[in-house]
Order: sequence, then C-alpha cells, then structure tokens
Amino acid sequence: LANRAAAPKLAARRWRTLRPWTQNAALLLFVMLFVWSRRGGWPAMLVNLPMRVDPLAMLAHALSARIFLASSALALLTVLMTVLLGRVWCGWLCPLGTILDHSSRLLPASRAAPPDGARRLKYLLLLAVLSLAMMGSLTLLTLDPLTLLFRALSASVWPAVDQAVTASQHALYDVPALRSAVSALDGVLRPKILPPEPGFYRLPWLYGGLLVGVIALNLWAPRFWCRFLCPLGGLLGWLSRVSWRRRQVNDQCIACGTCARVCPTGTVQAEGYASDPAECTMCLDCATACPVQAIDFPAKYELAGRQPYDPGRRQALVTVGGAAAAVALFGSDLARHRPHPHLLRPPGARESALLSKCIRCGECSRACPTSAIQPAISEAGLEGLWSPILVPRAGYCDYSCHACGLVCPVQAVPPLTLGDKRQQVMGKAYINRDRCLVWSDGIPCGVCEEMCPVPGKAIWLEEVETTGADGYAMGLQRPHMARERCIGCGLCEFRCPVVGEAAIRVYVSTD
Amino acid sequence: VNDLGRREFLRRLTAAGLTAAGGWWLAGCGPDTLSPTPTTGPSTAPTRTILGEQTAQPPPASAEPTASAAPPTALPMASYPHLAVARGGEPQALMRRALAALGGMERFVHSGDDVIIKPNICVGYHTYEYAATTNPWVVAELVRMCLEASAGRVRVMDQPFSSGPEEAYKVSGIQEQVEAAGGQMEIMSSFKFTRSAIPLGRDLKECQLYEDALTCDVLINVPVAKDHSLARLTLGMKNLMGLIRDRPSMHRNLGQRLADLASRFQPTLTVVDAVRILTAHGPTGGNLGDVRQLDTVIVSPDIVSADAYAATLFGLRPEELSYVRAATDMGLGRSDLANLQVEELSLG
Repeated sequence: LANRAAAPKLAARRWRTLRPWTQNAALLLFVMLFVWSRRGGWPAMLVNLPMRVDPLAMLAHALSARIFLASSALALLTVLMTVLLGRVWCGWLCPLGTILDHSSRLLPASRAAPPDGARRLKYLLLLAVLSLAMMGSLTLLTLDPLTLLFRALSASVWPAVDQAVTASQHALYDVPALRSAVSALDGVLRPKILPPEPGFYRLPWLYGGLLVGVIALNLWAPRFWCRFLCPLGGLLGWLSRVSWRRRQVNDQCIACGTCARVCPTGTVQAEGYASDPAECTMCLDCATACPVQAIDFPAKYELAGRQPYDPGRRQALVTVGGAAAAVALFGSDLARHRPHPHLLRPPGARESALLSKCIRCGECSRACPTSAIQPAISEAGLEGLWSPILVPRAGYCDYSCHACGLVCPVQAVPPLTLGDKRQQVMGKAYINRDRCLVWSDGIPCGVCEEMCPVPGKAIWLEEVETTGADGYAMGLQRPHMARERCIGCGLCEFRCPVVGEAAIRVYVSTD
Repeated sequence: VNDLGRREFLRRLTAAGLTAAGGWWLAGCGPDTLSPTPTTGPSTAPTRTILGEQTAQPPPASAEPTASAAPPTALPMASYPHLAVARGGEPQALMRRALAALGGMERFVHSGDDVIIKPNICVGYHTYEYAATTNPWVVAELVRMCLEASAGRVRVMDQPFSSGPEEAYKVSGIQEQVEAAGGQMEIMSSFKFTRSAIPLGRDLKECQLYEDALTCDVLINVPVAKDHSLARLTLGMKNLMGLIRDRPSMHRNLGQRLADLASRFQPTLTVVDAVRILTAHGPTGGNLGDVRQLDTVIVSPDIVSADAYAATLFGLRPEELSYVRAATDMGLGRSDLANLQVEELSLG
C-alpha cells in the first residue's frame, strides 16, 4: 500500500522538476523566434508561430474578420491541450508567465493578495475582447500576453539592448587590446541578432513600462496578471472547467495547509484545500510540497463547479454593453472619419479592413529591417491603438523587402511577392518648399531625388540659375514631385538632411 | 532562502557594476594615448599613396605641414602607363588584362598585406545587370589577384544607403562572387568610424571615416560608372563616400569635399567598372533601358585620371565634373588625359 501511495507523489515530483526546464525552453524559443523574425532571419511561418498557437488572438481574429484561416488552426492544439490538462499553457509554456515566475523568486510578493472577487476581472476582460471582436474591433488584443510581451521586446527591450551594446562597443573599441574581440563579437551580433544600424521607436518607455508594470504587480500577489487580468488566462481557465486531468485532494490529507501556502495562483482554499481548475496552472508545486501523498491529478469528466467570482449575468451584460458603447465611440472618433495625414500603413494593408484583422502582435514591426513599422499611437484613433503604421523619420519601406506581409500571422498585411509589393502605394510625398534647403536657402542638395528607389524616379530636379549669397550666379537643382510614380516608401523623408521635420514628407494618398 | 537569493543577487549586481566600471575606466584611458588617427598634425598625412612608390615613405615628423603633406604629383614609374583601359571581353579578363598593363597586382599588393576593396553597393534593389552596383566578377577578380599576390586578407565592404548591407551584398551578387574568390564581406561597424583630420582638405577639414580603410595596407576603389544628379556622375571619388558617416553634410560644396576625401583616403588603385554603365536615373536605376553595355574597365593608381577618363565614356569632358576640377587643382592627380600615357587594350 505504501508503495502504491508513493508512486503518484514521485511522478508529480519528477514532472515538477521538468517544469522550469519546459518554461525556460519555451521562453527561450519565444525570444529566439522574436529575434529571428527580422527580415533575413528564420522563415516567416515559423517565427509567427507563437501568435498562431494563441487561441485568444486567433479566436478574436476569426470573430472580427469573419474568416477562419487555416494557418490559425494551430491554436486548436492549445485548446486541445487545455481541455485535456487544464491551464498548462499558463504554468508550463507562457513566456510572460515564466518571466513572472522568475520575478517572483527575485522579488517575492510582500502584501496580502487582493480578494478572490478580483479574479472575475480577467473573465470580464475576455468577454470584452470577444464582444469587441464580434463587433469588428480587435483593440483589446493589445492586452493579450503574447502581443504585450512581443511589443515590449520589439519596441523597448531590443532597441535599448542595442543602445547599451553599441555604447559598450564604442567604449571598448578604444582599448587596443580589446579591438579584435569587440570586432569579432560584433560579427556575431550584427546583423543577425542586432540590426546593423540602431532602430528607434516612438515612446519606447511605454511598451517596456507596461511590461514592468505587469511584473511589478507580482509584488502584490504572485502571478497577479495571470490570476486577475490576463484575458488569455481567462479563456484557458474557462476551457479548463471541462479539463480531463485536474487537481484533487485525497483522504491522506493531514490539513497542514502547505498546499494553500505554496500555490502561486492562490486558488487552494484555506479550508478543505479544494481548488478551481480554472485557476490552477497545473504547476504541481502543491503536490511536491505536500508532506504526505494527499494530492492527485486524476482523470475526471465533470464540469467544474461555479465559483463566487465567476461573472454574473448582470456583470456580463454590462461588459457587453460597454463593448458596444466603446465601438460606437470608436466610430465617432474623427480619426476614423478623416484619416490622420500621416496614417501610412504597411504595404498592401487596406485601411478599411485592417482594424478588424490586425491582432496587434507587432510581428510586422519586428520584421521591418528599418524599424519603419511602429505601433500607432493616436494616428488611427483609440480603436487603432498599436496597429502598425509607417513612420518615415524612424525608417523607410525598403524597396527590396516584403517581410511584413510574409510574417503577418493573419494576413492583415497581405503576403505579396516583392514585385507586387513594389507596386503598393503607401502614401505620397510632398515637398515643403519653405523648409527645403534648395528651394528656401539656395543650398545644393538633391538627396531626395538621389534616394528615390522607383525606376525613373518620382522626384525630378529642375536646373535653375540663381544668384548666390555672394552675388555670383550659381546653378541649383530644385526638386519636384512626379507624384504619379511615388509609392510613399518614405526613403526621401528618412534621408532628408533638414533637422527636425523633413522638407519632404509622405502623406496619406488621396486616391 | 529569500535572504540568500537577495545576497546572491546583490553580489552579482556588484560584480557586474565593477566589471562595467572597469570597462568604462579602460575606455577612458583609450582616446588620448591610443587614438589611431590623431586629429591634428601632418604626421598622419597618408603614406599609402597613389602616384608612385618613390614618395611613399612617411614624411619626417618635424617637416612643415604643407611641405610634408603635399601629395605626390610625380608621374608613376616610367615603365608603366599612367592608366590602362581594357575593352571588349568578359569582366574578369578585362580586369586582369587592364591591371597587367600597369604591372599586375604584385606592383601594388605585397605579401601579407591587409587589403580593402570598396565597390559600389549602394542599394539592394536589383542585380548587377542594372548597373547600380559594381560588377561582381570585376570585384571577385580583384580579390583573386590580391590573393595571388599573397595578400594577408582581402575584405570587401560598402555602406548601402538603403536595404542594409546584408541584403545589398546578396542582391548585388557581389557576396557570392567575392566569397567564391576567397575574399570576405565585411559589414561596416559603427564603432570603427572615427573623427579624423583631413590635413589636405580645403573645405572638409575633418570627418567620421572608416578607420580600417585608413589603416589598411592597400585600398582598392571599385566604383561602377553611373549617372548622379548632384555629382553628374558617380565614379571613384564619389564612391569614397561609402567610407564615411554623416553623408548629408557632403552635399554642400560636393565637388571640393569629394576631392578632400580623396586626399585623405588616397586609394592605392581605382578601378572604374564600365562593363555596364547607368546613363540616367542614377544612382539607383531600375530600368534596363538606362543601361549601356560598354565592356570596359579602367584602372589607374591615380583616382583623378580614372574619373577623368570615365567621364569621357558619358560624353563629358573631365573638367565638367566638379570633383575632378577640385582634385586637379589640389594636385591629387591629373585630368589632362591628352598628356597622359594611357594604355588601351582591346580584348574583343
């Protein structure tokens, strides 16, 4: 009998030692796929895998775009896994969850956790995500844990790492003894891991700050985000109500309370030590901490019981109503009616369909080799928050690149051949003669014309004779647009030597 | 347990801090004593020089700046022509024969030399057929000849203004041919650009230059001959802009500044690739209709005469190029083609 009782405990312990390895491997894989989703890295359909296994993003996309893409069927694997084993995604695979576990070890929570009632927030958030999606808006996928982490890596962490590495390289390269080492290391880092030229993002502190905020909530309760806020956790928790394997306390229990103390999601009740399968991340911490063999994970076919924190009908209705109100407000935003003058979308993306397709994952932004694609801040209204736009002063749409469309997991930016992509008009450039060095100050320039990648050039130079500042005649070449040829790639705006606002800028196209 | 974790964390933090501080301190030691390119004084006036080995010795440190820094203006060694042009053949053969007429690579590259070859790889849009980037076989033949002359290593590099080096190296076809020939493609690192004085510069007195291109033993400049609005043509001197940072500042007084740059880099050889030339819509091109196939390669240790000769391929007189005028005026080389010994080879 003793042997039989010891067996499950040993099994649980063995599984438990596997968990950190699995978690770290999944986190490492996520970061590697992130790093090599840059143009020239790994194949597009491999690097966008994390987004395609995310059932929240794929479900919301299917509801909103009214289409089920075969490539998003991968998310069904996550669903299947959850129905079999509960929220193992959260406890074993989620890269954000792993970061939160690590930070809990470094900085343990020091206060009493919020009341259990707060758990309903994540279900209400899930309901809000899905009802907004039904109404054609994916704005709340900005709060999906994978998009949140990916965006922070792309627009905050990596540019900052690059700045730090570059600064160290400049400093260390001045030491003769280190030169060859610095040079060799640079060959390893660039261009495969860090870009050959640093990328710059707007509001980089915002995306990193949001991630730090999510981590900081851990000081209040371990896995605060996963317990109370994560809409993906909400979806997986809801699926876990029918999960096959789930935690159960048997009659060996000596009521020591250890399991309730160690549970990182705080779902083990202080009395009776029962837990909610929708809140349990199957981390097995309780099973290994149990001094007797009182915790099993038997197979069970039954619906989990209702919890006091499950959203009530009234709360659900208010949430759906709130989502409807939000969609109405989104629609009344002037930004949706009269496009922002610099609302430039990645090549081939159609404004009319983009916001109901874009899952805000930031893959296109990361793939963009020049960091031209950035999260929209106010350009597309609140509804278009963090949807992709081109910011020519940050980077340009490279005439030899079509990476964004290939990597987009949901074809919000369509996959195009390089030839087709070169035909896409993202906007049209206009010259500001008051700021142009040639037009306004009589200084020879012509960089915009030199840069223009379009065969035949969308900018032409007019030869004029003028009088220079010294009173002598001088020849000048004044730039003019041949606008019908302009594709709005923004290379002219990016390279315009005028400091501050460029003298040539790309605007939304009127056509 | 938590205490230990924190202590361990603090210990590591301290170690990291000390390491960083040490690095910082070491770095601080660097610039004053070890700067490879002093920002003042004529003692760094280029010694790797264009026109003749007779003046290739470093000038004495005590010499007057103007005297010691003056570029060599003497003719190349009498036995060799000043400039060689090969026409009508495959790019490799054109390259090899033109250089052979000047005494072969052994005249310029010595055993163990560190060689940098600078083609024009301005963008990664089109294949070499569009003549926006240097012909890959011309570059590869140079690599091969350098290695045959027992060069220590041969690096090929440029700083594309679009597409990024990785893509541009690939699309141009240069990476494939260079690596097949035994050379290595280098991606130019930002920390290798140093603010350097240009002692002979008349307008551009200092600039952020790629240090390795200054310190290498042999610099071979391999532009493709093509149209350019502001410079009229982009040839050897314009191609050197790929070795600097802060390129927009060049556009004021471009002709003089290009000549100033040439005075600092003084490439050992300039090879103008005119296998295909781009006659309009340069420097990026994109229309095969703008490309003319001339099957011509021009080689000279004199960058000015190489550019001057290349101008004539476009029906221009050398003095119509502002940088040729400026460089001639500075005595960097010669553009009086009629008075130069030019070896014309026909391979056809």
